[in-house]
Amino acid sequence: MFRYIVRRLLQMVLTFFGATFLVYALMFANQKDPIQALVGERPVSESQRIALTERYHLDEGFFMQYWYYMKGVLTGDFGTSMTGRKIYDMMSDAWPVTFRLAIIAIVIAAAFSVTAGVYSAIKRGGIFDNSTLLITLVLLAMPIVVIAPLAQLIFGIQLGWFAPTATRDATFYQLLLPAIVLACIVIAPEMRVTRTSVVENLRADYVRTARAKGLTRMRVIWVHVLRNSLIPVVTLIGVDLGGLLAGAIVTEHVFNIPGVGFNLARAINTEDGPLVVGFVSILVILFLFINLLVDLLYAALDPRIRYE
Amino acid sequence: MPGKTPWKMAAGATAIALLAAGCGGGGSDDSSSTSNTVVIGIGEPQHLIPSNATESNGAEVLASLFYPLVDFDAQNNPNPVAAESITPDKANTVWTIKLKSGFTFSNGEPVTSDNYINAWNYGAYGPNAQGASYFFDKIKGYADLQSKDPDGEEGPQKAPEPKAKTLTGLAKVDDTTFTVTLSAPFAGWESVMGYTAFFPLPKAAWKSDGVIADGFEDAIIGNGPFKLKGKWEHDSQLVVEKVADFKGTAPKVDGITWKIYQDQQAEYADLVANNVDVQTTIPIESLAKASADLGDRFKKSPNSTFQFVGFPTFQKEYQNVDVRRAISMAINRQEITDQIFLGSQSPATSFVSPVVAGYRANTCGENCEYNPTKAKELYEAAKGPKEIKITYNVDGNHKAWVDATCNQIKASLGINCVGGEEPKFADLLTKVEKHQPVGLIRLGWIMDYPLMENYLGPLYSTDGSSNYYGYSNATFDNLVKEGSAAATPEEAIKKWQAAEDILAKEMPVIPLRNGQNVFGYSEKVSNVTLDLFSKVDIYKIEVVS
Amino acid sequence: MSDLNTVTAAEAPGGQPNVPHGRVKRDKPRSLAGDAWNDLRKRKMFWVAIVMVAAILVMAIFPTLFTSADPSQCALSNQFKGPAGNALFGYDFQGCDIYAKVVNGAWNSIKVGVLSTLLSGVIGLLFGLAAGYFGGWVDAILSRFVDIMLGVPFLLAGIVLSRRLGGDPKSDGVLAVTLTLGLLSWTSGARVMRSAVISAKQQDYVAAARMLGATPGRLMLRHILPNSIASYIVLLTLLLGINISSEATLSFLGVGLKNGAISWGIMISEGTQFARSEPWPLVWPALFLGVTVLAFIMLGDAVRDAFDPKLR
Repeated sequence: MFRYIVRRLLQMVLTFFGATFLVYALMFANQKDPIQALVGERPVSESQRIALTERYHLDEGFFMQYWYYMKGVLTGDFGTSMTGRKIYDMMSDAWPVTFRLAIIAIVIAAAFSVTAGVYSAIKRGGIFDNSTLLITLVLLAMPIVVIAPLAQLIFGIQLGWFAPTATRDATFYQLLLPAIVLACIVIAPEMRVTRTSVVENLRADYVRTARAKGLTRMRVIWVHVLRNSLIPVVTLIGVDLGGLLAGAIVTEHVFNIPGVGFNLARAINTEDGPLVVGFVSILVILFLFINLLVDLLYAALDPRIRYE
Repeated sequence: MPGKTPWKMAAGATAIALLAAGCGGGGSDDSSSTSNTVVIGIGEPQHLIPSNATESNGAEVLASLFYPLVDFDAQNNPNPVAAESITPDKANTVWTIKLKSGFTFSNGEPVTSDNYINAWNYGAYGPNAQGASYFFDKIKGYADLQSKDPDGEEGPQKAPEPKAKTLTGLAKVDDTTFTVTLSAPFAGWESVMGYTAFFPLPKAAWKSDGVIADGFEDAIIGNGPFKLKGKWEHDSQLVVEKVADFKGTAPKVDGITWKIYQDQQAEYADLVANNVDVQTTIPIESLAKASADLGDRFKKSPNSTFQFVGFPTFQKEYQNVDVRRAISMAINRQEITDQIFLGSQSPATSFVSPVVAGYRANTCGENCEYNPTKAKELYEAAKGPKEIKITYNVDGNHKAWVDATCNQIKASLGINCVGGEEPKFADLLTKVEKHQPVGLIRLGWIMDYPLMENYLGPLYSTDGSSNYYGYSNATFDNLVKEGSAAATPEEAIKKWQAAEDILAKEMPVIPLRNGQNVFGYSEKVSNVTLDLFSKVDIYKIEVVS
Repeated sequence: MSDLNTVTAAEAPGGQPNVPHGRVKRDKPRSLAGDAWNDLRKRKMFWVAIVMVAAILVMAIFPTLFTSADPSQCALSNQFKGPAGNALFGYDFQGCDIYAKVVNGAWNSIKVGVLSTLLSGVIGLLFGLAAGYFGGWVDAILSRFVDIMLGVPFLLAGIVLSRRLGGDPKSDGVLAVTLTLGLLSWTSGARVMRSAVISAKQQDYVAAARMLGATPGRLMLRHILPNSIASYIVLLTLLLGINISSEATLSFLGVGLKNGAISWGIMISEGTQFARSEPWPLVWPALFLGVTVLAFIMLGDAVRDAFDPKLR
């Protein structure tokens, strides 16, 4: 077990550098004219161009830029965004609210998809099964650029059930609608996985044994089957965090939440290399640790799995 | 293993997660709903150092924190405000500025000539890379503060330090008087000084000479009627409160919360819900409902935005003036402003905005009138291209009108027309610089100071900073320059109008629309007016008791 | 988007095809595919899906069978007008015939969706097969690479790639978008394939085949692949829908289809703008997109059920 964790940690270091390097390379390739992007449509004077080029090492080669950046990160300095703000400050502003949003979304998604997934697995082919299949397909087919504004419009403005916008220090209730929207992205796959998994397990021998022992159907399903079916779902939920953050870019924009997704979108748009890589670095680390955690949890849930 | 009671675990985890997520919220709700303060929506300002604030969000906030040298009356003529007097010499080259005495910054420092001179020198100095640096380029000595890269941007050599650190054209006379010497006569200089870039900075701003102290921008100190309460909360809000013993015009509200929105539709949703008091730009998507939602709290007023498309001079097929005229005549501007912009913009028929002195309606004449029959005749006689393209940047919400314009051109001229998408304006510029066949170029202009010259110079002069399409006409250039050097504003306007007449004949661009402020406010406030720069007049706005 | 990443990596452990051993070697083997086909033929859902997919494909390839109107002829005077004459679905914000646009937009949407899914399917298949079959350092390298890909935000990579690939000012961007989506969306498939191969590899029948002297190539092609492919196909049908709607996101950001190309994705993002007062320009293309995705998913489900004997 210990060796396994050490090996995983080493792999994570490798992945971390690989991913940040790739992102940096992408930003570098994307950089056509960050200075113009910074000022929008205004003309840029030559001396302004020279000064900014110097300040952000834009005239250096790709590897030098990456080196400057990594040197900073490893000494705990994420550097300065092209807007002039410290990236560390921007991150400590942005992360908490996105984190809360993502957790609410994951809990909602998990609660809904596990319940609905189990139920449609039991009533396979029934009305509930087919209608949830249809609903999840609709969610899947709708890009988030459509779902988010529609939800805001219908539930936030016309019905007035939720606050139409949220702020950095939003309450739980203010974050609920954006979280539901965000959950929509992952509900479809999570539910399908739960359903498949439960269907498989319902046919397993141990279920027949348990039923033969005289246990009630409900007890067999909710205790025995579910525990065994949860394994793939747990994996999925952990890994979904990455997907949630992709969706957060649009959701945060629509609901006016100044979180990670919003900052990332803005940084990509203004070709703000250091800022993008800063946020992505943390994202990658989170993603890697959650993956490790999920794998360890996996072993805990399923005694057949042993790492060495 | 914990798996014995998965449901209890799950329930516990859920509760903890929700609790964690819910915490940290709350406490944000204000108690100000009854107080004499207002909430005004803006976007995140890019910068708050005055010489670096080039966009309207920063300018709005700064207008509450600083007291300008001049402001503009209803006819857009400059009036001294923080200045006692501003007097030019006979040649309009040396301007003497006398400050009103007794004014202080909100930290108590008296406002002196040095505060202006130091701030302006900082703004003009090339290596500081200030966005509004070009405002100072008319002052003598500006060129010496800039550096040129000896071997171009790609070259290995670093740019040398500029020759000088201070503008020779700025001279202190005494604590409340200083002079500005221009490198060429310019009758409109007083108007230029109304811009944000010309605000003073207190001593507290400097770490050392010419270096802004760390953190000053987030806690900026001005000489205006309001001061920043706490710090600039990025992407969230800026709260300003009244300065107790302010010597100038006193505003009617005790404080303003500049609430920062990422998205205008989100802001509109808050306006309807009375969570924000003023929205300066209501997005088109919400305009159809605005009258119903807001009633007479939905308002329009002119602003200086001018929207047009330019013809790239490097593409042969647009070199015939009749082709350019025909395309212009093929466009039904009224239909687009009515149906795409729902009346939030108005058709443009001249080459400058109606808000500047010297504007004449319809200088474009027949060329900007919708006349599909004549357009088609002209176009066919001139053998215009079979397919044209209008290139635009998609991040600026231009798709709808570009598509509509293309549809009109298709219908009028019987040719094909497509919108060419570029992700950003910078991508568009790159293609223009490489002389790729971009077709017509979507462009817009917001003025910096209310003079005709501010449209004619940057947009159509040979060396104009925003003349991306490469229009060049020596007679035109001379007329603009002569106008700037004229002794009186009236003479200047005559020259500038003569220059505009040349544009009408040559049609280097197609004027399309003039912008308007379309704004709305909540039931809580009244007397909301917006100026030509789309800024709320913070001296007039008041809370309904 | 990256929603599906590793979705079915998870699905795999539970849902492995697990072919009874006796069938592997016979004189005249009844192949798995043959069995599956026999099974498929009896399924109603399969035929419904086939009919739907066929109808959509006919519409995409021969739009003129359905409408003779030119979707690019629009007049503002028709803005938001209701259904009239040949314009069965009414008109949109630009005064374009929605029906004509939906019918003509099918081609680009399907082309982008199908081609990019095929591309990512092939890449994911090769990656997953190689990593799962060879294991060891090959697996280590390939898996790290997949991890790295997952760490890169889709939006960023999408913007950069399609900007690079779509430099030609005259192209309509279909190729660039297809390549972009194909190159970015294969990671989840690779993970699924990998774990499917790993668990198939441990089955007795594979060991038996190996002992009988099957070469690695034959092992992979004849034994492991057919038994691992079911869940992979299901994943791809989901991916198809996601890719079609991702095209909308890219087009929305200005790096997708351009120069007047029509697609459901573009129609959806345009329709969203005024959905509050005029929902129809959004509803129609969304409906067609939804039905198309549904058809492909139904097809995928049917095929997978047929291939997976445990579910029979």
